[in-house]
Amino acid sequence: MSSFRQPSVLPGFGLTLGFATFFLSAIVLLPLAALVLKTASMSWADFVAVVLSPRALASYRLSFGASLVAALINTVFGFIVAWTLVRYEFPGRKVLDAMIDMPFALPTAVSGIALTAVFAQNGWIGQYLEPWGIKVAYTWLGVTVALTLIGLPFVVRSVQPSLLEVQRDLEDAAETLGATPLYIFRRIIFPTVLPALASGFTLAFARAIGEYGSVIFIAGNLPMKTEITPLLIVIKLEEFDYNGAAALGFVMLAMSFVMLLSINLVQAWGRRQIVAARR
Amino acid sequence: MSITLDQVTKQYQGNPVVNDVSLAVAEGEFFVLLGPSGSGKSTLLRAIAGLTEVDHGRVTLFGRDVTRVSAREREVGFVFQNYALFRHMTVGENIEFALRVRREKAAERVRRRKELLELIGLADMDDRLPTQLSGGQQQRVAVARALAHKPKVLLLDEPFGALDAKIREELRRTIRSVQRELGITTILVTHDQEEAFALGDRLGVMNLGRLLEAGRPTELYSRPATRFVATFLGAANLLLRREARLGPETAGRPRREQEVVAMLRPEEAELAPDRDTLTTSFLGYGHVEEMQFTGALERLRIRMGTEGAERNAPASTMSPVWIDVTRTQPEQRAFPLVPGRLVAVGTRRIHVLPTPLSSFTVCAESREAADRLMANHWLTDLAARMQTRLSAQVEPDLAADAAAPGPAPAGVAVVAAGPGCPNRVRQLLGRGVTPVLCLPEDAEPPARVVVHFAGQVARRATLAMTASLLRHVPAEAVFLGILPSGSPERTRTAGVRQLLDVRSEAQAGHGLDVRTELRLGDRIEELLRELGSQPGQMLVLGLPEAGSLPENFEALLTQSPGWPVLLA
Repeated sequence: MSSFRQPSVLPGFGLTLGFATFFLSAIVLLPLAALVLKTASMSWADFVAVVLSPRALASYRLSFGASLVAALINTVFGFIVAWTLVRYEFPGRKVLDAMIDMPFALPTAVSGIALTAVFAQNGWIGQYLEPWGIKVAYTWLGVTVALTLIGLPFVVRSVQPSLLEVQRDLEDAAETLGATPLYIFRRIIFPTVLPALASGFTLAFARAIGEYGSVIFIAGNLPMKTEITPLLIVIKLEEFDYNGAAALGFVMLAMSFVMLLSINLVQAWGRRQIVAARR
Repeated sequence: MSITLDQVTKQYQGNPVVNDVSLAVAEGEFFVLLGPSGSGKSTLLRAIAGLTEVDHGRVTLFGRDVTRVSAREREVGFVFQNYALFRHMTVGENIEFALRVRREKAAERVRRRKELLELIGLADMDDRLPTQLSGGQQQRVAVARALAHKPKVLLLDEPFGALDAKIREELRRTIRSVQRELGITTILVTHDQEEAFALGDRLGVMNLGRLLEAGRPTELYSRPATRFVATFLGAANLLLRREARLGPETAGRPRREQEVVAMLRPEEAELAPDRDTLTTSFLGYGHVEEMQFTGALERLRIRMGTEGAERNAPASTMSPVWIDVTRTQPEQRAFPLVPGRLVAVGTRRIHVLPTPLSSFTVCAESREAADRLMANHWLTDLAARMQTRLSAQVEPDLAADAAAPGPAPAGVAVVAAGPGCPNRVRQLLGRGVTPVLCLPEDAEPPARVVVHFAGQVARRATLAMTASLLRHVPAEAVFLGILPSGSPERTRTAGVRQLLDVRSEAQAGHGLDVRTELRLGDRIEELLRELGSQPGQMLVLGLPEAGSLPENFEALLTQSPGWPVLLA
């Protein structure tokens, strides 16, 4: 124990560790434990019937599928946005930088309604997509768009600091050593921001899975088609089926935990790959 | 020559950061670029590497013009102050980077890597990550990485800047031995003169974007041409003293005294209890004001007093208030000192700087006029930058038509431009005073200096003055040659040749690089047009005859709004 102790400005290791544990328990672990307990009060057959019903399976597919697609889109475009903000000096840069955080602050219902208005068949963008046979609102596409919107700041804010860290000198050095711009990007810039990009992806993905407010307006909520798992939980609650809601919640919790854990493990493995001396 | 720079100029937002730098570095030479921060030395190095584009001029590497060639294709090795190692790669991968880019075979890469690690004394460190190394080791790796592709030129940008003193010295030795072993042409940028002396076969000192002087370290130290180099390379006392003017006496005019700037190194001063006990030439008496023991040497500051001068009228008039002196242990033992003690100061060796601009004396008809001129911020800045004296001399009859005999002011005489200016100039020239600076009271610091001499008599003086001025003024300079319009072809060719002569004379005599332009037309009209074309210019003018101002030149001094004119 004493080997962990390091002089610090904060008082006592014991005190801070105790507080951290207590705080985490009260805010995070206790509610989760309640969820698990509630689920545990169900019989196995009931549990299976709820969580493996066709409607629930369809909702998992949509929730996790759309979240994955949205997080991937965000990873690509978030990187480009961060790159623009870090590397270029242009009028309105500060404003653009501030706007990135808007999805954080906006009530998600507001962004959902706004997106619906824009992408509806007679909306600003929707009316131009209509002739091409592309429907966004009330389809899985709409769900993805909504999830992309709320996930973008996570990627941008994760990548920005690490891009700042790629000093110009590194690129200059690579250039004097004969590397082409593409090579510099592949071998110098990308590996440096990769960990940040991965954690941005994870955050955006996690946020998208739990998202409720913005999706329900644009999704149309057709059972089996555009119904996300969180919505299904709310429906169960409205039917006073608390056990069913808890069971679905438990499944989401378990799946998210497994996915996030595996992403983190992959990241840690990647870091070790870099650290581990090759040859 | 392996690296040749030809009038390289780089501007940032209209300000020249690198100003007309020409330089040739021989094959296998270790050249050190020395200068304070902001002097443009790093920008110049980046321009050689191709990391910064130049606005004007040419960069040649081994006879190949690379001015428009990208850094990738210049085959140079560059070492950065903050190492710039790729942190996600091991030491070995860092070193192999250039070889991987070039798709060298694995066996060759390994061989080269081992060889380089051996060279920098970090054998078997291949598998470490840069973050696991100390600063000194990281910089060694950076050097090895820069050498991997066998560049013809190695460029180092303050490579020791981030290291502490001991490691610095070790790394310095490594770099020197690696450079010797490979015989690679090297340019190192630093602001540390000790480092420059320790490493350089030759040094170049930069300030305000200009390469002031280049030469062997010992040469630059003992015989600098400029105040800046004198004071930047080690400590120096700059003295103003009067000396008999060199050269033959001109008919009808008495041989005059001239003010010069002399450099006295602290270690070249001798202290003794009395004038008679000095073994060297006497400079003056002074009191010990400060004493500092620094181990091997003792540093003293001597306040030069007037009583000494009164007691033994010295041959030279002294200007500085105090003189810095260093003494070795034997000297200290032979003549121990305490603060406040009166000592005689002698000089073992004094070096006179070849600059015609020694100090400034404002000459005006009234105290108020003199004060107004002395408040001109360009003049005060210039005097401060030259670390020289700025004094005033009031002469009520200065602007009168008739010549009034008066004392000759020391150094550069400064008079107000405007209506009375030609008379003031004539009076001063009549007393044999040169140079004269005509300064409009509200003159701004010039961004461009136009140089012209109206006759061959003034050529040398004008060149020397221009060179001296430009070392203290961050401005571009252009030599303007003017021939009468309708000159025959032959005259014109001769005019061009003369301008080229001037350029090479400036280059050879003063290490100064200037652009040249040839105009056809009336001399005064062309000059007026040139100076009136844009604000922020000044004129350095060589008069057609020594000591006289022709009628038609008056227009150049009386314009409003005017420009500064420096007359030789």
